[in-house]
Amino acid sequence: MTQDDPLLTVENLHTSFHTDDGTVNAVDGVDFTVRRGETVCLVGESGSGKTVACESITQLFKRPPGEITAGSIVFDGIELTNCSERELTDIRGARISHVFQNPQNALNPVYTIGWQLLEAIELHQDVSRAAARAEAVELLDRVGISEASDRLEAYPHELSGGMKQRVMIAMALACQPDLLIADEPTTALDVTIQAQILRLLKDLQAEYGIGILFVTHDLGVVAEIADRVVVLYAGKVMERGTVYDVFETPCHPYTRALLDCLPGRGSLGGIPGSLPDPMAPPAGCRFHDRCPDAVPDCSTGDQPAFESVVGEDHEVSCLHYRTAAEPTVLESGVEPRRPSERTDGGDTHD
Amino acid sequence: MAVYILRRITWAIVASLIVLSLTFLLLYFTPDTQLTELQFQAAQAGNDPERVGEAYERYHGLDQPIHVQYLEFMTNMVSLNWGWSETRSQPVTTALVEAIPYSMMYAVPSILLSTILGIGIGLYSATHQYTRGDYAATAFAFFGLSIPDFWFAIVLLVVFGGMLGWVPILFDTSVATVSYANVTQLLLPVTVLTLTSVASLMRYSRAEALEYVEAAFVKTAKAKGVSDRRILYRHIFRPASVPLATILVGDLVGIIFVASYLIEVVFGIPGLGTLSYRAIVNQDTALVVGTVLVPTFLTIIGNLVQDIAYTVLDPRIDYGDR
Repeated sequence: MTQDDPLLTVENLHTSFHTDDGTVNAVDGVDFTVRRGETVCLVGESGSGKTVACESITQLFKRPPGEITAGSIVFDGIELTNCSERELTDIRGARISHVFQNPQNALNPVYTIGWQLLEAIELHQDVSRAAARAEAVELLDRVGISEASDRLEAYPHELSGGMKQRVMIAMALACQPDLLIADEPTTALDVTIQAQILRLLKDLQAEYGIGILFVTHDLGVVAEIADRVVVLYAGKVMERGTVYDVFETPCHPYTRALLDCLPGRGSLGGIPGSLPDPMAPPAGCRFHDRCPDAVPDCSTGDQPAFESVVGEDHEVSCLHYRTAAEPTVLESGVEPRRPSERTDGGDTHD
Repeated sequence: MAVYILRRITWAIVASLIVLSLTFLLLYFTPDTQLTELQFQAAQAGNDPERVGEAYERYHGLDQPIHVQYLEFMTNMVSLNWGWSETRSQPVTTALVEAIPYSMMYAVPSILLSTILGIGIGLYSATHQYTRGDYAATAFAFFGLSIPDFWFAIVLLVVFGGMLGWVPILFDTSVATVSYANVTQLLLPVTVLTLTSVASLMRYSRAEALEYVEAAFVKTAKAKGVSDRRILYRHIFRPASVPLATILVGDLVGIIFVASYLIEVVFGIPGLGTLSYRAIVNQDTALVVGTVLVPTFLTIIGNLVQDIAYTVLDPRIDYGDR
């Protein structure tokens, strides 16, 4: 497999939750790819299906009520939707690992950090206790936790939020995975710690060449870390492309509305309206009833097919993106650097 | 940790002393039935009830000032000299020691069974929430909780002892502890007690485990590649065991305290419950005090064990200034 072959290919993914009130199609036909060594950001409002999309990959969501109803997820040649629970268990943590949003609750309160790290190591590697311990110390050291060997005996409540997230990252890296799925890993942390964690992830990515699927609603973070961006709305992909193209020439009105919400862009009111009812999504484009540029055609048929626009793999699902597009984002203060210019990015985004 | 445990033990001792002091006060102000009886007999025989009363008080040290009586009471209690049972003509402690094994015979198997079944079914229910198995367990729990245990005991006795004749109706103390006959006669009491206590324990463990089934750290464990079985034992049951430890202690004390009266009287088991019941009916004050103090001290010891278990089970509990 060469560097450019996708490590993960998600095609036409549909994930539904069967509830008493009806079926919620949380992810409703989503495609994206992640290559080795690259960071792909899933962006969108709360409830747009970002978390469900990434929990679908190793089927972490609760089953039932959740279910992948259609689509394919190919990871390094393996079709994950056909895998048994047993096979998925072997892949989770070993080849695909997760870091979650809230480190406060993500560690088991009754076990030491060391116990939880050793569990991650020993589940997938046939090593002696001493070797596993040494590895755990090394991992903690690598994610920037000082006095690592003493910290093994610490309980989660004795660490700060940032420290816990470092432990989570150490745990996720324990078996040198190919893919790291980070679901809003910095949202619950304060800004300076956010920057440190982002920098750590980038350093680790450079070191191990892992692919990162990064979920966030914070476009500042996207500018910081992403190579490519997938914009989700109500379970559908609205637009995708390189971070440069999406920020520079956002084609979907929803992307533009999101970018307008950035601090310093004037629009403090957010996007008017709210997400459509997930039980009964509207016909036509999912965004049409909140879209400032909507025309009658937008509210009929299905979500518009993807059209390629200027830029590498830059695609948009909008009938009228051409007429609506205005390159006003260049005026924003959060202009991303071109990939070649991007440096360590450890500085904060505001 | 050692300091913490030492402090808990000190508190347990203080609590015991307070219980004993209150018992003393209650006894001090309660009219003595024995004395009334003696005075009545004396009056009938034409003697002076006043003189008999004085003699009785002198003999029992009741003419001493209150602090002297208090000290003597406490000394006797601590040295396990718990008085003389008039109705049984034996020391109270002897009566207790004879009765306790009969209570243990059905209480211990029942506590073990209900703990294992209760937690097991509760965990199953929590991980299979809203499935048929969960609904069946819930229905079973409501049955166990709502049915009065003494009534259920009588029905079982009528059906299995009377109509079918599978088990003896009268409890036979002459059979060996470990024998088939003893097992058959304990079968029904254990069943009744287990059914009623397993129901509540099951609901508690279901609720506790449910709190963790959806916890973020359980998802972390799953994302690490931990198998479902290991998640259940290590990541759900282990944190849930902390609050369950409290319920277990309450359960144990509850069984010995309350259920034993009804169960033992219905099945005719000469255990602590029957002993206490008879003592109350016959106004044998010393014996009543003895049979009430046993479960009281069990509660205090149970709480002590629970406090210590907490620190072992939950690292977040600080041993510091409490």
